[in-house]
Amino acid sequence: MPPVSQTIRVDVLFFGQLKEFLGRAQESVELQAGSSIQDLFQHLAGRNPDLQKFRNSLIASRNQEFAAWRTSLEAGDEIAFLPPVSGG
Amino acid sequence: MSVSAERDFIQLTRDPLDLQAIALHVRGAEDGAVVTFDGFVRNQSHGRVTLYLDYEAYEPMAVLKMNEIATHLHENFAIHRVAIAHRLGRLKIGETSVFIAVSAPHRAAAFDACRYAIDTLKRTVPIWKKEYFEDGAVWAGGELPPVPAETPERKSAS
Repeated sequence: MPPVSQTIRVDVLFFGQLKEFLGRAQESVELQAGSSIQDLFQHLAGRNPDLQKFRNSLIASRNQEFAAWRTSLEAGDEIAFLPPVSGG
Repeated sequence: MSVSAERDFIQLTRDPLDLQAIALHVRGAEDGAVVTFDGFVRNQSHGRVTLYLDYEAYEPMAVLKMNEIATHLHENFAIHRVAIAHRLGRLKIGETSVFIAVSAPHRAAAFDACRYAIDTLKRTVPIWKKEYFEDGAVWAGGELPPVPAETPERKSAS
């Protein structure tokens, strides 16, 4: 048996042009415990390299509060990747 | 600081906004002024004829951020009540997308607070609009909310 590594599951939400690009509004992702929001993004970009072009125009949120990319994730977190906002 | 926000009104809705009802909502007997901001859909954008706009939001977070704006207004301006309402879904030319009303005993605070509210909403509330033209559609170029200060690395599995 391979060594047991602890993982966590988080919910990820996409909005605006990012949602349109990916063709989905949300997904559930399993990651190594201790992963950051940046690690989560790279995990998603690993499956879809074109995602990288959005990286510098996104801000992330964790549990509905803006969060730095290095923020550590906890099991059950709700993470969203937000394009530049344009309300009003 | 305590906040007297019990009669504030924060709304995200797919229905047309009732501007008069919202403006009247914030009026109190001790007030002398209500300042409102009515943002509505323009018929053109960068020289292209607009057909309509589609708005979407990260709804629970947007409501949180709108409430934070109201709280900030109470803490920083001599105002009475705040109403912030935003439409979602498809809006036609001329339809109101955002409406803000602020009441105060004196007008200066109401003007300042209303201006702060719309400027902050446009920077920090997670709402997006897609503009549809006769010859295509684009997501409106928006603003990136301020990135929070880098938090210290947290130990996993606390």
